[in-house]
Amino acid sequence: MNNVERVASSAMTIAEMEARKIRHDSTELWMRCVQPALWLLIFGEVFNAIRGLAPGGYSYMQYIAPGVLAQSVLFVAIFYGITIVWERDVGLLTKMLSTPSPRLSVVVGKALSAGVRGIFQGIMIFALALIIGVNLRFDPLDVLGVFIVVVLFAMCFASLSMTLASFLKTRDRMMGIGQAITIPLFFGSNAIYPVSLMPKWLQVVSAYNPLSYVVDAMRSMLLTGDYSGLPMDMAALLIATVFFIACAALMLKRLIE
Amino acid sequence: MKAIEASSLTKVYSDGTKAVDDISFSVDEGEIFGLLGPNGAGKTTTIKMITTLAKPTAGEIKVFGVDALRSPQEVRQLLGFVPQAISVDGDLTGYENLLIFAKLFFVDHQQRKERIQGALEYFGLADRANDLVKHYSGGMMRRLEIAQALVNRPRLLFLDEPSIGLDPYSRRQVIDQIKELNREFGTTIFVTTHDMSEADELCHRLAIMNLGKFAIVGAPGELKKSVGGDVLTVKVSGSGGAELPTALGSVVSLEDGVLKVLTVDGERAIPRLTDYLEDRGFVVESVSLSRPTLDDVFMKYAKAPLHKDVGFREARSSRRSIARHAR
Repeated sequence: MNNVERVASSAMTIAEMEARKIRHDSTELWMRCVQPALWLLIFGEVFNAIRGLAPGGYSYMQYIAPGVLAQSVLFVAIFYGITIVWERDVGLLTKMLSTPSPRLSVVVGKALSAGVRGIFQGIMIFALALIIGVNLRFDPLDVLGVFIVVVLFAMCFASLSMTLASFLKTRDRMMGIGQAITIPLFFGSNAIYPVSLMPKWLQVVSAYNPLSYVVDAMRSMLLTGDYSGLPMDMAALLIATVFFIACAALMLKRLIE
Repeated sequence: MKAIEASSLTKVYSDGTKAVDDISFSVDEGEIFGLLGPNGAGKTTTIKMITTLAKPTAGEIKVFGVDALRSPQEVRQLLGFVPQAISVDGDLTGYENLLIFAKLFFVDHQQRKERIQGALEYFGLADRANDLVKHYSGGMMRRLEIAQALVNRPRLLFLDEPSIGLDPYSRRQVIDQIKELNREFGTTIFVTTHDMSEADELCHRLAIMNLGKFAIVGAPGELKKSVGGDVLTVKVSGSGGAELPTALGSVVSLEDGVLKVLTVDGERAIPRLTDYLEDRGFVVESVSLSRPTLDDVFMKYAKAPLHKDVGFREARSSRRSIARHAR
């Protein structure tokens, strides 16, 4: 086996571990549905009354469905730093790193685990959208594309979170930073309102916010069918993901030293 | 071939703490080597450097001739490591815990099932293989952890305080299994422990570490001899004054009327010492004899510097490493 195969094989093993855990106990997944459901049912329903908030003649519920999906994946991913700190504390991380599996594979594996959970979020939100009658384009290829975006996005922010964990090192601090990051990212993006409504400075910030690209990609596949922005969205997401995975892999040793 | 060869190994943490201070040692193939020492002595840091989890600040390590600094991945392929904290995943079954590690060790697909089954049976976990590990007892978890390290068939196994937190029965099981592993498969074992009787029973050779240095290395028997022999504990009252002649032994301590004397042949020394003390105005109330144990060796080599005036810096550094450990 060469090194690339080793990274791939070990990363898949770590993701498999996560999938098996979910199979044994999926309570957390179900509880994680509550928040997106509330966003759609309450927030979406109320703001539906405001005409013109959603551009392009879509209902507000349609408009925020991709945003809510992105947000719920973000919330899953951003707390992976806590998981890795916990695994460090109990010795699990040390033991994983004492195997011949490359360090990079531990990071990629954890990031993929976040992707696995992200996919479940996607399934739940699609189901929810069907039940409450939010009209999305459920074209198989588009849905597949959305899942690819979900996995990449989850990997991106799980890696960011693990990078932060290498510096902050305790669960309490990670809780704090998780809260501090997610809310500005969410409100500083196009998830629940169009960028054109934002003040100028926030529009600039939004252009550097990975969440904006994710929501844009999801919206183009689920809603508009206009793929013109998609290559740019995917490129931005891919670059951010590779960058944060590299950061996390380089910094991981700080956690066990 | 030597299983481990370390020369001038040093680790200084970024905050300036010298956790390991220029140690050189080797471990033979097939040996059970024990590393003892007080908390914060640098044991865990030493293990981390050999298992390639931490980079030494200076020095060299070879594991079965492979340079641990240059080819860490190759070295890790030869190792099994059981850390101090219980590190099995409670949310997975026993079987799954083994499966994941077999895969992370790149155990060949065909051999995987057989090795996992073998490990489960060897450690008496086969009938609970499909239960979630969080429902296991502490002793079972410990055995599962060792099993996990063994699916790789390591030539060198590291055990960081293997019996910590176990009840006496589980402890016995774990110790017996470690010994059997060594006997049956010739696995070289590197173990750290606080338990002196365990070290005495288990280890062929051991080192006592203190403040980042090896205070002494040797077989348990030699070490016990090196503390000088038997200790007489004499309870005296009354007052008198005397220097003890060297033929009778040497005074280790005199506190609250309890005199401890180190001597070569304790049984014969009892009447002579009693006579000597009574001649000089003391009243001897009781005498007890204790033969040296590793505890005494430990006290001599690991604790002595703490009795002397330890520099503030050193005391702080050992406190710090305890804190790091706890963190």
